[in-house]
Amino acid sequence: MFNIPKDKEVPLGCITPAPVTEQPMMITGNWREYRPVIDNEKCNLCMSCIVYCPDACWQLNEAEDEPVWNAKYCKGCLICVNECTSGALSKAYELDFADGVVRLEKPF
Amino acid sequence: MAKEVVLSGCAASAQAAKYARVEVICSYPIRPYTAIMMELAKMVANGELDAEFVHGEGEHAQLSVVFGAAAAGARALTGSSGVGVTYAFETYSPIAGGRVPLQMAIADRALDPPGDFGSEQTDAMSTRDQGWILGWAEDPQEAFDNSLINYRVGEDHRVLLPQMVCQDGYFVSHIPGKVVLPEQSQVDEFLPPYKLPHPLDPHHPVSHGPQIRPDQGTIMDLQRAQAMLDTPKVIREVIDDYNRLFGRNYAPFVEEFMTDGAEMVFFIQGAHAMTARHAVRHLRAKGVKIGLVKLRFVRPWPTEDVANILSKFKAVGVIETSTSYGGAMRGGNLLHEVRASLYDCPQRPLTTSFMAGLGGEMVPLKDFYWMAEVMSNAIKAGKMKRNVYWVGFEEE
Repeated sequence: MFNIPKDKEVPLGCITPAPVTEQPMMITGNWREYRPVIDNEKCNLCMSCIVYCPDACWQLNEAEDEPVWNAKYCKGCLICVNECTSGALSKAYELDFADGVVRLEKPF
Repeated sequence: MAKEVVLSGCAASAQAAKYARVEVICSYPIRPYTAIMMELAKMVANGELDAEFVHGEGEHAQLSVVFGAAAAGARALTGSSGVGVTYAFETYSPIAGGRVPLQMAIADRALDPPGDFGSEQTDAMSTRDQGWILGWAEDPQEAFDNSLINYRVGEDHRVLLPQMVCQDGYFVSHIPGKVVLPEQSQVDEFLPPYKLPHPLDPHHPVSHGPQIRPDQGTIMDLQRAQAMLDTPKVIREVIDDYNRLFGRNYAPFVEEFMTDGAEMVFFIQGAHAMTARHAVRHLRAKGVKIGLVKLRFVRPWPTEDVANILSKFKAVGVIETSTSYGGAMRGGNLLHEVRASLYDCPQRPLTTSFMAGLGGEMVPLKDFYWMAEVMSNAIKAGKMKRNVYWVGFEEE
């Protein structure tokens, strides 16, 4: 058997309870070129964005009855915009920098 | 009562899936493995087998469908041949790393170029370092048995690895042979229902395949390596059980045939072992001290079994039905593993690769006789002239 330090243990097959805690070292929000924008007036709560998001970046806020977007991890694939049944989701350009370059503080 | 029937390798694999009570099947056509899916489609249509039969849009999709199905707790089967096996390549590592023990039935086929339908082991052999259990059957009976054995091994919670159950295209997949079909109750006793420790379940939501940090990557690799290290013990237990329940006589990893008093052996996997057996019988009748050693699993590679058995002989001819272009021994893949296994033995045999059966060529008896002569001359000379012989295309 191998010696794995406690703080480095990974569950079998990396299968974790969902929704998982966010991992501060692997922020994927800065991969994004476009972000989805929701118009809560138009949203009919069909849940398509919540179901289709490959990274669980749409979660339902049950108290407010509205989908909540996770800016930290959304990669901007826009599957949610494509799947939205009510036209509540649209896309907005993210790279509003003078030279068009996204600047990262850390590689991850 | 068990009954004897005559089935092709493909039909035998389909029967095994039925006996295993497979729940999700995903198909995409490519010859020669297609016949497995044709049989299964008929069984599902006739109501003989209660399974979801999904048409994939390609091999990558096939593997993705069964990955999802098996992750959700269904016993799943897919399969492919040749370039289909390589088209799905991206999926092999995540399935093994995610520890989802689905099964892939492979009837092997040469890779392109340009479009050869014949049998060759390079397709599945190219996946051997992804963490899948991998092995070849010699005949339809072994294809049937290996399917059940692999489900049981892969689904064991000490293993949890996917399996490629391979048979040589046409030579096994399309040539009928005798198959003993057991009672369903025997199989049910041998193979308990599939149970994944952490299945996808809306009542207990889990995440499969999340993004991990670079410093967790080694640990994931290490887990998979450990699973492979733990597999041989489970294979031995399962084969013992299978032999006992079904009256078979399988060696877990390495089978010896007429090796008593042998000075040299053919080392081989798959269909051509059958011709090799005949060659050994005929050569023995002429007084040539030759035997045959058959490999049943390439992964996990049985290092100790291979070392213990092969170190008894003076010469080993490794019949390679796969290619390793530019590899250390300039021939096939198996010789690398054979020589590495023998390195620590005090007595090492002379070894060489015989490239034979590539692209679907037959390996006739005369080729085996020629190989035997090469080994015999090497023993006399105390030296093997070359590490690789392309059989039929080279002088000794």
